[in-house]
Amino acid sequence: MKKYFTVLSIISAGLLIITSCKKTHNVDIAPNYTVPTTYNFTNANYADATTRLGMATEMANLMNTATTGVVDGQRLLNMFTNTNSPFATAAYNTSGIQIKDQCFAQLQTDIPNFIDSIVMVSKSTQPASRGVAGIGASSVTPATKYPQTATGVNYVQIFKKSIMGGLVCYEIVNNYMVNGIAGSVDNTTVVPGSGTAMEHNWDLAFGYWGVPVNFPTNKTGAVYWGSYTTQIDSGYDANMILMDAFLKGRAAISNKDMTGTKAQATIIMQTFERATGAAALQEINEIKEALTDNVKRNSALSECYGFVNSLKYNPARKITDAQINAILALFPKNFWDLTPADIDNIQNAIATQYNFQDVKDIL
Amino acid sequence: MHTKFIRTAIIALIAVAAFQACKKTGTTPQTGNTGFDRTGMLTNLSKNIIVPGYITFQASVVQLDSAITLFNANANITTLGNVQAAFKDAYEKWQSVSVFDFGPASNENLRISLNTFPADVTQINTNVSTGSYNLAALSTLPAEGFPALDYLLFGTGADNNAILVQYTTDGQATKRKAYLAAVSTVIRTKATNVLNGWKTTYPATFIAASGTDVGSSIGQLTNELNEDFEVLKNYEIGIPAGTESMGTTFPTKVQAYYSKISLQLALLHLQAIQNVYLGGSGLGFDDYLIEAKATYNGGSLNDAITAQFATATAKLQALSDPLANQITSNLTGVTAAYAALQMQTVLLKTDMPSALGILITYGDTDGD
Repeated sequence: MKKYFTVLSIISAGLLIITSCKKTHNVDIAPNYTVPTTYNFTNANYADATTRLGMATEMANLMNTATTGVVDGQRLLNMFTNTNSPFATAAYNTSGIQIKDQCFAQLQTDIPNFIDSIVMVSKSTQPASRGVAGIGASSVTPATKYPQTATGVNYVQIFKKSIMGGLVCYEIVNNYMVNGIAGSVDNTTVVPGSGTAMEHNWDLAFGYWGVPVNFPTNKTGAVYWGSYTTQIDSGYDANMILMDAFLKGRAAISNKDMTGTKAQATIIMQTFERATGAAALQEINEIKEALTDNVKRNSALSECYGFVNSLKYNPARKITDAQINAILALFPKNFWDLTPADIDNIQNAIATQYNFQDVKDIL
Repeated sequence: MHTKFIRTAIIALIAVAAFQACKKTGTTPQTGNTGFDRTGMLTNLSKNIIVPGYITFQASVVQLDSAITLFNANANITTLGNVQAAFKDAYEKWQSVSVFDFGPASNENLRISLNTFPADVTQINTNVSTGSYNLAALSTLPAEGFPALDYLLFGTGADNNAILVQYTTDGQATKRKAYLAAVSTVIRTKATNVLNGWKTTYPATFIAASGTDVGSSIGQLTNELNEDFEVLKNYEIGIPAGTESMGTTFPTKVQAYYSKISLQLALLHLQAIQNVYLGGSGLGFDDYLIEAKATYNGGSLNDAITAQFATATAKLQALSDPLANQITSNLTGVTAAYAALQMQTVLLKTDMPSALGILITYGDTDGD
């Protein structure tokens, strides 16, 4: 009896060890195929996504010349539709592809308005101040300049964040994660150099993320979301979540495991939405680092606004339009009027929406 | 009975071992000598330095606010002189509490609300003439606080007779008095709110958070001590002396440009930070570093920091007010003071936190 009790105790102690460690083991049903650790799949090709990100970068760079002179608005419009060879990178001009027709419908009409605002600001002969559009210098680092409207909005930042939402997220979510892996998409015929149609869709989605194949070990050259998932990594491990999901999903497609593919697609879609919330919170912390620096603070507020607003371009979003508008309503009508209370309200609204209250200050 | 106890003990041990094994692995911050009485240090700082500092400061701004009320009711050369004296006194007292920008002060954004300088004279004059402004907006910070009062009380005329005109016969005298009162009210309200926090619940919170992690009181204090030290080094001395603009000087950007007490305030500020470091005559960072046996260049880190406080004080004392004039006439002397402060920044921001296992988390306003 005594012995029996001892054995039982040891068994239960052993059980305690196992159960207490459970948390660290994610018990997955192991697929019967290998998932590689880098995005080096046969026939993987996402050159078109990389090209479009490059086009957006050239557009943003041209917009930023507002700080030194009048911006060529017509050239920006031409870049948006890739007409009249507007790009410095010759390969973009002859690529036969463009940004505009890939954007969420609303964004296609919004971007020309953003461009108009930037051109208008660039023509101002006065420095930016409350009620006056123009170029403003950071008070802490005067060499850093920002174009701002009379209400303190930096439309270069609105453009960039809208591209991240209305081009990158929209393409990934709508075209590649929903329609791109639908049953009707060919996953049998292998086209040399780009794989099956479904594989190619998945690859393009990965390409839009804007990271190297061995990310996040290597972060060199990460752009747009590739850069931001790293910036928010301190509080939200989107880098690992996304890389893992992209690798597993692509391996699943090549091995005709549609259940696995759809599961990873769901992870990717949800992660991009939550990452948008995290990125908006990261901007709040930049605002807090620049409380007394008016134009720098306004610019960071523009980034925050741009991220929240960009959720509208995500067709798979969980957040409702009413919820997005409720957060946007917390921003002052004129960014120069921002108060510490406004900052707290915006931060809390986003953190509550995306369950980031615990990490909101370290994102 | 005996074996049963042993058995239970063994099982308990295994369970503890299992629990320990699952603990998240991570680097344990170096906490220096864990034997140091951090609670005693926090109690000393709270009781003998912070709370008395806020009591004195709050009383001085209440006094200033009353003086402004009297001046606004009856503006003459005597009441103006009284307001100016009350302003200087309050600005001096502010130097002693500027460093505590966490907890109650952080809730009020006290440091940036009360002392963002240089003042934006254009914005102040616009606010006066339009009468339309929101002192809660961040963009209004350069038009409020002590720097705004500095301009309003000392910078609106060449001498006190000329200044008095701005509050008596000038077309905007009434509006100017209203703005003066509004700015003073914000200062008084915020100072009172912070004092109330320290008079009620916050000291207990402050003393209880006796660890060395980011949110601990030692962690916050170390960060704010450094951030405030850099306000002194960069904003009060460096930027006006051109250290961040490749030598182009901005004498008008000094603290208290119009009342011409910049250097006096800088010295009080340095003294206040030193006092926090020393914990007055009680437990402070100095004792903590001694207990931790922190070394610097083969000697004691505390000795190095103490010596550098003396050096920086001497370099500042070698100058004279108005500091703005010194920047024009004795730039070498001013940059020597800056260099001494810069040296101390290294000790306080790099050596001290690393010796005590404390993380510096605030944004770098140093430009380096």
